[in-house]
Amino acid sequence: MMIEPLYIQGNRWLHRLPAKYKLAALVAAGIGLFFIQNVWALSGAFVVSGALVWATGVSAGVWWRQVRGLIWVVLTIGIFAVVFQGWLPAAVVLLRIGALVGLAMAVTLSTRSSDLIAVCERALLPLERLGWVDASKVALALALTLRFVPEIWRHYQEIREAQAARGLARHPVALIVPLIVRTLKRAQQVAQAIDARS
Amino acid sequence: MLIEFDHAVVATSQSQALRGVSVSLDQHRVGVIGPNGAGKSTLAKLLNGLVLPTAGRVVVGGLDTRHDLKAIRRQVGFVFQNPENQIVYPIVREDMAFGLKAQRLPAQESAQRIQASLDALGVGHLADRASHTLSGGECQLVAMASVLVMQPDLIVFDEPTTQLDLRNRNCVVRAVASLRQQAVVVTHDLELLQEFDRVLVVVDGQIAADDTPGPAIRWYREHCA
Repeated sequence: MMIEPLYIQGNRWLHRLPAKYKLAALVAAGIGLFFIQNVWALSGAFVVSGALVWATGVSAGVWWRQVRGLIWVVLTIGIFAVVFQGWLPAAVVLLRIGALVGLAMAVTLSTRSSDLIAVCERALLPLERLGWVDASKVALALALTLRFVPEIWRHYQEIREAQAARGLARHPVALIVPLIVRTLKRAQQVAQAIDARS
Repeated sequence: MLIEFDHAVVATSQSQALRGVSVSLDQHRVGVIGPNGAGKSTLAKLLNGLVLPTAGRVVVGGLDTRHDLKAIRRQVGFVFQNPENQIVYPIVREDMAFGLKAQRLPAQESAQRIQASLDALGVGHLADRASHTLSGGECQLVAMASVLVMQPDLIVFDEPTTQLDLRNRNCVVRAVASLRQQAVVVTHDLELLQEFDRVLVVVDGQIAADDTPGPAIRWYREHCA
């Protein structure tokens, strides 16, 4: 299985909207949704976020491949909420998560990663002036994360396959140790490559 | 551009990767061959200061790698053995722009240069692809383009054809041949060196043979096979 790129090319209104507005709205919604307790208002937010995902023009298949990893997390939270708090609080929690995930998806599906990174870099500039952070380094770290998460996932699968081929059962330590070694080795080579280009 | 190694030694506390290499190179195409672990990659990495000599010195185009690192990195491009490590941004076009950022070009000129570099290697259609979806051959060509876009005077290749199938290998060989820049190529692909001007054979951290491709490759076959 390959992790698919997050951005889907397109030219709808959501794609054309500047990244800074989309990110600012996402931050505002992320904070705002936690102040809303009314289940009908949260249902409304959920529907709006669903409509925004649909507005990106993403196909059902791609959408499903992106969210299926979350199903188990959401399900676990839902079961705990129902058992310990009852149906209504569970609905509130799930609608809130669903709305947030939808909004975040709508932003990542319709915005190039380079634009997202550029916005973060600009947002950090005031902190850079205070001497707290180096905005360009943070931007590079963000880019590296986006670039190498799928690669680490691929390494994981390769190691898993190599072990399965030798008839070994799934064992967390036997998977994690070689994965960390490979990732660190890789990090060293990537650092050298960045050095060579700058 | 003149490359001079002057008694260059690269050593760690346990071992010596290069033991006193002295050679001057000004040919357009220079190949470096030798057994695994002989010090070929170390020799290549000395050229743009990725590795600094522990003794002796390396001078490239009049610049000492120990003192003029920044200027040398601008003049000498490096294509790594594993091109995947060289592509650090999630999208090909973004990655190409990363190197150019330091040159502070206007956005339009930068975009033109990126497209021209990709087109020159026949991979213009990959500009908007996600980096992790590139195949081995595409990755190698994109990594080359990301070096070309910087317009260096010398390009160093560390085993550029090792992981490629025949078709992609031929693509890379043609691409290397068509470069107007000077190139130093470390390789096990002896056929690639046929048209080269000079070939060094590195054995056990030293230059064991230094000749035109024919005699150098013959020496390598006789002594290292």
